[in-house]
Amino acid sequence: MTARVVEFDRTWSRFRDDGAVARLRAGETVDLGPDAPALLGLYDRLEALSDGAVNPLVGGGLEALGYDAGYSLRPMGAPVAAPAWSSARRDGSTLTLPEGSVLDVGAAGKGFLVDAVAAVVLATGQQCVVDASGDLAHHGPTSDAAPLGVALEHPADPSRAVGVAELAPGRALCGSATNRRAWGQDLHHVLDARDGRPARDVVATWVVAGSAAEADGLATALFFLDPVGNADRLAAAGWPDLEAVWLDATGLHATSSFTGEVFA
Amino acid sequence: MTLPRTKKLTLTTVAAATLLLSACGGSDEGDDTTPTPSPEAADETASEEGSGSYSAGDYSAEGSYQTPGGTQSVVVDLTLEEDGTVSAVTVEPQADGGNSEQFQTKFAGGIADKVVGVKIDDLNVSKVSGSSLTSGGFNAAVDEIKAEAAA
Repeated sequence: MTARVVEFDRTWSRFRDDGAVARLRAGETVDLGPDAPALLGLYDRLEALSDGAVNPLVGGGLEALGYDAGYSLRPMGAPVAAPAWSSARRDGSTLTLPEGSVLDVGAAGKGFLVDAVAAVVLATGQQCVVDASGDLAHHGPTSDAAPLGVALEHPADPSRAVGVAELAPGRALCGSATNRRAWGQDLHHVLDARDGRPARDVVATWVVAGSAAEADGLATALFFLDPVGNADRLAAAGWPDLEAVWLDATGLHATSSFTGEVFA
Repeated sequence: MTLPRTKKLTLTTVAAATLLLSACGGSDEGDDTTPTPSPEAADETASEEGSGSYSAGDYSAEGSYQTPGGTQSVVVDLTLEEDGTVSAVTVEPQADGGNSEQFQTKFAGGIADKVVGVKIDDLNVSKVSGSSLTSGGFNAAVDEIKAEAAA
């Protein structure tokens, strides 16, 4: 299991200079291995759904704002829009990017890894709950069909919750919030790839989905997409009746499909 | 700021450590750890009977990690049973000002007014989901505990 995690990190991390991301940046064609079709395929769906706001080439934009491998945390000039995802060339698991492009799978990569770790455990015939610091997949005992109670942490006060999700076995929950990975006036890690600027309207999101990868990626997409107003688009993209909770300037919201309770 | 993020884990130590490892995705944070071993409640009798390679007892370790808001740290306390399972884990973020606190204050002004929420201690929940960035420090701290218990 550790080997699985280490390999994933080596392949996909933007925070190391010996991995695939560095070679892609130099314009090389890189084989990203067996995870690539599924992970990049998910990004295809998210990119289309969000009209390009979610784009795995957002890494350069994050660096421009100072969220780089060295954590310089000083913006270097104006925000930088990501190269169009359509400019990437794919062939199976290989990828070629325009030189200088910085791959960043931060939107869905962690959830993807949660699923991968769960798969390792499930392959041994054991059940598990994988909790990657709040991005979690429930593969626990199904005999009593007990949902897992998960507090939705208040973005401004970690001792409080804005709601509780009742996570059924076989489901995954991921959250995203802009409060902690933030480093200056209105600077945080959830960028709109189209202009390279941090999301402004939404502060925190949670999504329950059939996999942690989907929940993680959708949690990012909801910073740019109201799931109620875009329910039809979500359904067309393969995510009907999305279970979501989000906090924006007008308060706390949940879709009617959300299983649990919100305190607002 | 004290947050009992996970009250009861019923995982084996190996599974727990691996799951935590899965959370550290992006980088190798948390190299700068300060072990504070305190196996004061270690049960020597139980450890002799145990078949695992770790000694039963209560352990505590502190791990630090880099955030965009500066270096922060968490203290992890866990109880190791003689059969190798972790019966209790608590994580206490060590709030120390810096950007994170500034941002929490800023957001608190804008949002806490609208959404108060409920104390997590008052809820019957197994897990907490929110913004995540304690994993590197948590992982480093657990590594210290593993090294100490295996000694």
